[in-house]
Amino acid sequence: MYNQDDDLVFHKACKLLMPFNTNQIALSRETNIASDLEIDSVAIMNLIMEVEDAYDISFPMNLIAEIKTVGDLVDTVHQLKRE
Amino acid sequence: MSLFDKFEHLSDQYEEILRAGQDPFGMCLEKVVSPTSAIVNGQPVILAGTNNYLGLTFDPACVGAAQNAIANHGTGTTGSRFANGTYSIHRDLEKALADFLGHKSCIVFSTGYQANLGAISGLVGPEDTILLDADCHASIYDGCKLAGATALRFRHNSAKDLDKRLSRLGSEGGAKLVIVEGLYSMAGDVAPLAEFVEVTQKHGAYLFVDEAHSFGVFGEKGKGVAEAQGVLDKIDFYAGTFSKSLGSIGGFCTSRHPEFELMRCASRPYVFTASLSPSNVASVRAALGEIESRPDLRQKLWKNAKQLHEGLTALGLELCAPCAPIVAVKMSSRDDAVFSWNWMLQNGVYVNLAIPPGTPDTTSLLRMSMSTAHSEEQINDIINAFAGLIETKNPAKKSARV
Repeated sequence: MYNQDDDLVFHKACKLLMPFNTNQIALSRETNIASDLEIDSVAIMNLIMEVEDAYDISFPMNLIAEIKTVGDLVDTVHQLKRE
Repeated sequence: MSLFDKFEHLSDQYEEILRAGQDPFGMCLEKVVSPTSAIVNGQPVILAGTNNYLGLTFDPACVGAAQNAIANHGTGTTGSRFANGTYSIHRDLEKALADFLGHKSCIVFSTGYQANLGAISGLVGPEDTILLDADCHASIYDGCKLAGATALRFRHNSAKDLDKRLSRLGSEGGAKLVIVEGLYSMAGDVAPLAEFVEVTQKHGAYLFVDEAHSFGVFGEKGKGVAEAQGVLDKIDFYAGTFSKSLGSIGGFCTSRHPEFELMRCASRPYVFTASLSPSNVASVRAALGEIESRPDLRQKLWKNAKQLHEGLTALGLELCAPCAPIVAVKMSSRDDAVFSWNWMLQNGVYVNLAIPPGTPDTTSLLRMSMSTAHSEEQINDIINAFAGLIETKNPAKKSARV
């Protein structure tokens, strides 16, 4: 677990989520992507494509299903980068 | 804790749609008059969203074949293809489809959904990798889930993006199956199959093409987008449905690999369900004969598609794709789409309401599918209904009627 303020992946994820954050809520590791940001499942999958390209990694769909929060997304990027 | 708590959001959204008028997801056709007209709420309605591309649902040859099959073979097979549910007519249909497409093997499934579910989950194992176009149909996504394989999405219609993802995988990930569609059902756009053939061959992957909406519709002989783009012999697996151009229900998958026959033992959606009923098999066989012998059916369909596409373009509407038998009009929002769908129905035209997450790029659409059976007058009525819709939404604007 990384401290979110020191984590470049967290900051990158926040940047990619910006276009979806229409209510301008403060993002944290605990922010629920679907319910807090009101993003539907297809839009989340499209967002993850951006993340994949940013880090040159591939997210299998079964992993995408388990990503609920910004923290889950960030941790999955770290995990896939290690593999 | 209730089982139904998790549907609260869905229920709220559904109720909001119902408050706007009719139920777009539970509409009842009180009487189907013809392939292109029905009675809804006691009123005659032009059907402009039924995927009945060649209008064969009331074709005398197809209806007659179905009636004879019921008399000769009974109302149902009461069994799986794996047990007592394989009749000579199932085998004949499979051979006819394989011959038509020039493939070595064909398996018929009980629905189009099951054809994708059965072929994909049978072919691919947990050690393999599926790469699917982001806009693929739900049946393909569900096939990936049932396969238990690693599934990766690539950007819609982008062979370049597929190439990048296959390169990223390298030699990892077992055998690779790339899945795309010929004609995409919502927006009506066509896949660049020749490009996908090139990329899959470069990486030693297999290519699976779902031609559900394009079989019987594209290509000089109706063999789909793969025929139209000259790559039919390079497709590893070709899936299709009987519930669109063939006017019945059921589905199939053909392959140029004779080993595909093994799916008859390995595919759970093939083994653990009853086989296609004799009447459906017979009407599909007759419809395939119509497709083979009557190119005029396709010519009329494309003429109709052009009339609608040009008419709606002239009204200034934003359409999702170049001319094809699927014509989708972009709406400004979900609420706009729901309002417009209701207005069209009240004014005698049934179209499909397509809203996220069932649509690409979170757009809301009014989607139509043209049929050979639409008359020139009916298509003018559809265009004029859209002109009326535009004027209702913008009273200052006057649209020219056709």
